[in-house]
Amino acid sequence: MGPASRVNTWKIGHRRRPVSEAPWIRRLLIGAALAFLGFFLVVPLASVFAHALAKGFGPYFASFRDPFTLSAIKLTLLAAGIAVPLNCVFGVAAAWAIAKFDFPGKQMLGALIDLPFSVSPVISGLIYVLLFGAQGMLGPWLASHGLRVIFAVPGIVLATIFVTVPFVARELIPLMQAQGRSEEEAAIVLGASGWKTFWRVTLPNIRWGLLYGVILCNARAMGEFGAVSVVSGHIRGLTNTLPLHIEILYNEYNMVGAFAVASLLTLLALVTLALKSWIEWRNAPVSGAET
Amino acid sequence: MSVEVRNVHKHFGSFKALDDVSLKVESGELVALLGPSGSGKTTLLRIIAGLEYPDPGTAQVLFHGEDVTDWPASDRKAGFAFQHYALFRHLNVFENVAFGLRVRPRKSRPSREEIRRRVMELLELVQLEQFERRLPAQLSGGQRQRVALARALAVEPTVLLLDEPFGALDAKVRKELRRWLRRLHEQISITTLFVTHDQDEALEVASRVVVVNNGRIEQVGTPNEVYDRPANRFVYDFLGSVNLFRGRFRQGGIDLGGLTVPAPDHHGAEDAPAVAYVRPHEIRILSQPAGDGCLPAVIRHVNSAGPLVHLELERPDGGSRFAVHLAREADRMLRLEPGAQVFVELQNPRIFSEDYSI
Repeated sequence: MGPASRVNTWKIGHRRRPVSEAPWIRRLLIGAALAFLGFFLVVPLASVFAHALAKGFGPYFASFRDPFTLSAIKLTLLAAGIAVPLNCVFGVAAAWAIAKFDFPGKQMLGALIDLPFSVSPVISGLIYVLLFGAQGMLGPWLASHGLRVIFAVPGIVLATIFVTVPFVARELIPLMQAQGRSEEEAAIVLGASGWKTFWRVTLPNIRWGLLYGVILCNARAMGEFGAVSVVSGHIRGLTNTLPLHIEILYNEYNMVGAFAVASLLTLLALVTLALKSWIEWRNAPVSGAET
Repeated sequence: MSVEVRNVHKHFGSFKALDDVSLKVESGELVALLGPSGSGKTTLLRIIAGLEYPDPGTAQVLFHGEDVTDWPASDRKAGFAFQHYALFRHLNVFENVAFGLRVRPRKSRPSREEIRRRVMELLELVQLEQFERRLPAQLSGGQRQRVALARALAVEPTVLLLDEPFGALDAKVRKELRRWLRRLHEQISITTLFVTHDQDEALEVASRVVVVNNGRIEQVGTPNEVYDRPANRFVYDFLGSVNLFRGRFRQGGIDLGGLTVPAPDHHGAEDAPAVAYVRPHEIRILSQPAGDGCLPAVIRHVNSAGPLVHLELERPDGGSRFAVHLAREADRMLRLEPGAQVFVELQNPRIFSEDYSI
């Protein structure tokens, strides 16, 4: 062992220090990240509230008393209220089928669930116009029965359902695949029926993932613009959802009104974010927190 | 209650997991399904439980003579303990054990107090009374396995099926649980089948051992039978360490090069290759040749740590090495050192004809 080997050891030890970048590089990188986030996220977020409250709280709250705004809120709640439970049921069923069973067409089903993610929302809206519109495939039949889908509430609900299909299923499939089938098998060997197994074993195991999926699904259902815009027809008080209503107010130079309504959606986003972080924090320690 | 399978075949795609398996386990027996991984032993257990169905055809699964082949798993009343326990992670120990009772239809469901009594009785049996409120994640591997057993026993199963019950545990806990399982079986004497790839475990715990390989049953017998009279080379090889001495059939025996071992049961062609299987503890070491029944060898390595002395010897002719296990006293008397020239006597060689495919 000569001095050379000692130098080597020292070098290796030096290189293995946990953080090797110089302090100024670290500060530069962190600073760049913070500046980026601030410019693209924090400033716009703050400006929404700044514009909304530009003329004080009076005009801010007054804009929610506008009947068209109220009807937009109602319609958004209705669309989300139908789309979220439906996609919740469908998402759980699809995830259960894909994660716990083998059947032909399984890959195909997985790809289909992702379709709304990969298609532009405008196209999703157009599909419904082409199907149910006056010139569409089912249009004449619907018209003869006095049913309106396009430029009416059913179209908005359909478009919302379509764009929010993947959220719950995509959240649950990897979770259920990771959990495997053995707990369900154990339940069945113990004499539980398929239904009881689902309620007592499967659902409790996925409840947090499901809640997470529902929250994301709801955020998207309430915030969807493109697909809904195509099928809505923008009839004030009838077929305007919150995002569409914001656009109209903005185009009419009603800044306080537009940003006041926008602040609602922004608050929804913040609540979603808080819930999402809470769920993640809640599930971080694997052992024991649950009772 | 007895359990029987008849003519069971099972394919997964093109893979043949079980190939015409028939087996009968008598009431109250403790039987080990022993085989290497991928041999089909777990598949057989799952078919008995109803978690897999055999390929359609003549296959039958019978519980106490009754054909349950088409029954769903939930109707079979088989207790099943999974390799990785499969405890319900969101339920505590008490609720895990109570699960099978709680999911019964209302008319056959025991009362709250009855469930409590039964669960506590079982937790006492598996020595986990004080853990009733713990979640599975807060238990050690051995404790989880015992919860899984208690849960399986709670439904008063007609047969207990254990898939690699001690596979995921460390060596010391495994040995303790083995003995515990045997005692438990003596207490409740329920028909039990367990799957293992560990021959020591099978030989120590089971009253009968079923050796499985490539989806077929190679041999069924008591631990002594399968160990002392293995039906074929696979069983011999799988149930413990073994030395191979290669030679050729010659005049009703096999010539190992200097030593002819009689092989009266074999009528191999003259000069056909053959192989003698000898266990390391069935070789006697002599310092002087005794007649012509022994082979010369040189000691190459001595390891005397542990209850037996492990020796590695080399044959002078071909240089092939073999292992010998010796009691410590015998070793002391012979004063064996590496490099010493000795003679060995094969005490219980088993002759198999060598096929060229290997």
